Amino acid sequence: MTDFFENLPIDIAQLPSAEENDYQQISPAYKKASLIAWGIFFFILLIGPPIIIFFIEEIKGEWLYYAASILTALVLWALNILWVSKAIKKKKYVLRQRDLIYTTGLLWQKKITIPFNRIQHAEVKQGPIERLYKLHNLNVFTAGGSSSDLSIPGLTEEKATKLKEFILNEIENEEDGKD
Amino acid sequence: MEKIEERFAEPKRQAGIAILIILLKFLKQTIKSFWPIALSFFIGGKSDRFETVLGILVIIISVLNLGGSLLSYFRYYIQLEKGAIIIDKGVLRRSKTNVPFERIQSINFKQNLVHQFFGVVSVEIDTAGASKAELTIDAIDKKEAEALREYIMSVRSEILQEKAEPTAEEQKSDEQTILHLSVSDLIKIGVSQNHLRSMAILFGFALTILNDLNESFEGVVEEELSSKADLILNSQWLIFLFFVLAILVVSFVYSLITTTLGNYDLKLKLNNKGLKLIKGLLNREEISINKNKIQIVSWGDNPIRRMFNMWTLSLEQASSENADKLKSKIKVPGCYLEQVDEVLGVVFPKMTDYVFSKHKVSILLKYRLLFFVSVLPFLLSLVAFLWIEWLILWFIIWPIFTSIYIHIYFQKRSFEISEEVFKNNTGAFGTRFELTQLHKVQAIEITQSWYQRRKNLANIELTTASGELSVPFIPFEMAIALEKYILYRVETDQREWM
Repeated sequence: MTDFFENLPIDIAQLPSAEENDYQQISPAYKKASLIAWGIFFFILLIGPPIIIFFIEEIKGEWLYYAASILTALVLWALNILWVSKAIKKKKYVLRQRDLIYTTGLLWQKKITIPFNRIQHAEVKQGPIERLYKLHNLNVFTAGGSSSDLSIPGLTEEKATKLKEFILNEIENEEDGKD
Repeated sequence: MEKIEERFAEPKRQAGIAILIILLKFLKQTIKSFWPIALSFFIGGKSDRFETVLGILVIIISVLNLGGSLLSYFRYYIQLEKGAIIIDKGVLRRSKTNVPFERIQSINFKQNLVHQFFGVVSVEIDTAGASKAELTIDAIDKKEAEALREYIMSVRSEILQEKAEPTAEEQKSDEQTILHLSVSDLIKIGVSQNHLRSMAILFGFALTILNDLNESFEGVVEEELSSKADLILNSQWLIFLFFVLAILVVSFVYSLITTTLGNYDLKLKLNNKGLKLIKGLLNREEISINKNKIQIVSWGDNPIRRMFNMWTLSLEQASSENADKLKSKIKVPGCYLEQVDEVLGVVFPKMTDYVFSKHKVSILLKYRLLFFVSVLPFLLSLVAFLWIEWLILWFIIWPIFTSIYIHIYFQKRSFEISEEVFKNNTGAFGTRFELTQLHKVQAIEITQSWYQRRKNLANIELTTASGELSVPFIPFEMAIALEKYILYRVETDQREWM
C-alpha cells in the first residue's frame, strides 16, 4: 500500500485490517424471508393496478392496459428475485477485538464500522416474517440522531444474542475501564 | 440564600409567574390554531347552524385546554434527589421523569419579554443518547436557575471526573468574553445574510395565510385573486417587476431586522466549563456547551460576506434525537477570521502544532458531475427543444452556469488530516470548512458505486454525535488507510468524547 499520510505519527500499514475470510455470512434463510416480504409487496403491485383499471370507466374494457400493468409488475418482480438472491451474499459482518463491521450492497457497496466504545445500546429484534424462519435483527445504536445506527438482519437467535451480549459486555467493560 | 439542593430537596413548583407564562403560551396556541374560525365569525356575519356548532366546539375545547394548562402548573414539581433531577408532572397523564446529572448534556436558558420583565427564565435540559428526554421548565427565578445549573453541572463533573482524569486548564474559573458583536457588525451580517432563505420563508408564510384564508372563506380569496389575474396579465411586466422588487426589499429588510434582533448584543464567553453564547433583544437566549463535547466546528462565508471579511461560525455538540438541533448548536452569524482562530484555539488547544496533509478528490468527480449535471440535461433539452422552442435561452444558461459552479466546487473540494483532527474543505461560490477531532468519530462508512469500483475510488463518511463529514471520490486505498487510522485513534482514545 502506498503511504498517503506521511504526516501521521504511526505506520498505517501496521494497523490490523479485516481480511475477506474473517467475514461471516448472514443466515441463508434470510433470502427466503426477504423474498416473502418482497413477494407481498409485488403481489399487491401485480393485482392492484388491474383492479384500479377495472373501476375506471374509460379504459376498463381494454386488455392492453391489463397486460401492460401485469407484465411490468412481473418483470420488476423477476428482477427483484434476482437482486435479492445476489445481494444476500454481500451482507456480511465481522466482530473484531474493538469494533463491529458490516458490509452490504450489490451495486452500491457499503461498509460500516462502529467501535464498541462508541456504541450506546444494542438490541435484538424480530419481525413477523423473520419469526417464521427464526431469524433476528441485531440493532446497534450510537449517540445523537440515527444516521450512524446499524442493523444486521438474518441472524439466528443464538448468534444474535451472542453478538448482543458481547457488545453490551464490551460497553460495560469500557465504562468500568474509566473508573 | 439557602443551598439550592436543600431548596429542591422537596418537590417544588415553578415560580408563580409561570401561570402567566403558561396562559400566554396557551393563548398563542389557541389563536394559532383557531384564528381562521374566529375571523370568519367576525367577518362572516351570517351564521348558519354548522358554524354555530363549530364555534361552540371551539369554545369548549379552548376552555378545557385552559383548565388543563392552569392545572398543569399545579401539577408540575421539580425535585433534586440523589444526583438526579426529577420532574413530576401531568394532570391526566402523569409522568415522572428522572434524569441523572451525568446524562445531562446542557442546561440552557431562554427569556422572552415577559420572562425578562419578571426576572425569570425558562430552562431547557437536554440529554443526549437514543432515549428521548428533554425537560422544559416554563419559568423559575433567574438566580435560582443559575444556582441550579451551577449545582447540577458541578456535581455532574465530580461524577464524571471519577471516571476521567481532570485536565489542568479546568482549574481557572474566570469568565472571559472572546467575541462580541457590535451593532455595526450586526448590520454587516444582516446585509450579507442569505436573502434567498428569508424570501422563501416570507413566501411560505404568505402562502399559508392565503391558504388559511381560502379555507375559511371558501372562494373569496380565489375570486379576489382571479379578478386580479386579468390585471396582472394586462400589465404583466410592470406588475411582475414591481412584485419582484417588493419581495426583494421586504426580504432584505426582514433578514436585516431578524438578524439584528436575534443576535443583538451577542457575546461568546469562555469559562472553566466551556463556551457560553448569549444573544437576542426580545428573546434573550443563553446556550452553553462543554468544550469536550463539541463534535464539529464549522465556519464558512458567502460572496457578500466575504466583502466584509466575515465568517459564519458554528459549534455543534451531541444532542438527543428529539431535541431541537438549534439548541445544541452555538451559531455565530458573523465574525472575523481572528475570532474564528481564537475560538479554534480554545476548542483545539494545540491547533497550531498539528501537521496537516491536504488531499484533493479525484478529477473523475468533476468529469462525472460535468457530464450528469451540465452536459446530459443540455443534450436532453436539445431533444426537447424540437417541441418547445422558447425555452432555448435556459438551455444555454444551464450548462454555462453549472460548469462554472462545478469547476469552482472541484477547486475547493479537499480534505486535510493531522494526528488529531480531520478537516473538510467544501463550497463553491461560498466556502465552508468543517473540523472534528478524530476521537469524536463514532462510525465510519465507506461506500463504492459500481462505477467507483471500476475506477478504484470510494466515498468515506465519518459520523459524529452531531452530524457527518464526508468526502467523495478518493482512491479506495486512501479511504481504507483513513478508516484504519481513525479507527485506531477512536479505539485507543480514553478522553471524554460526548
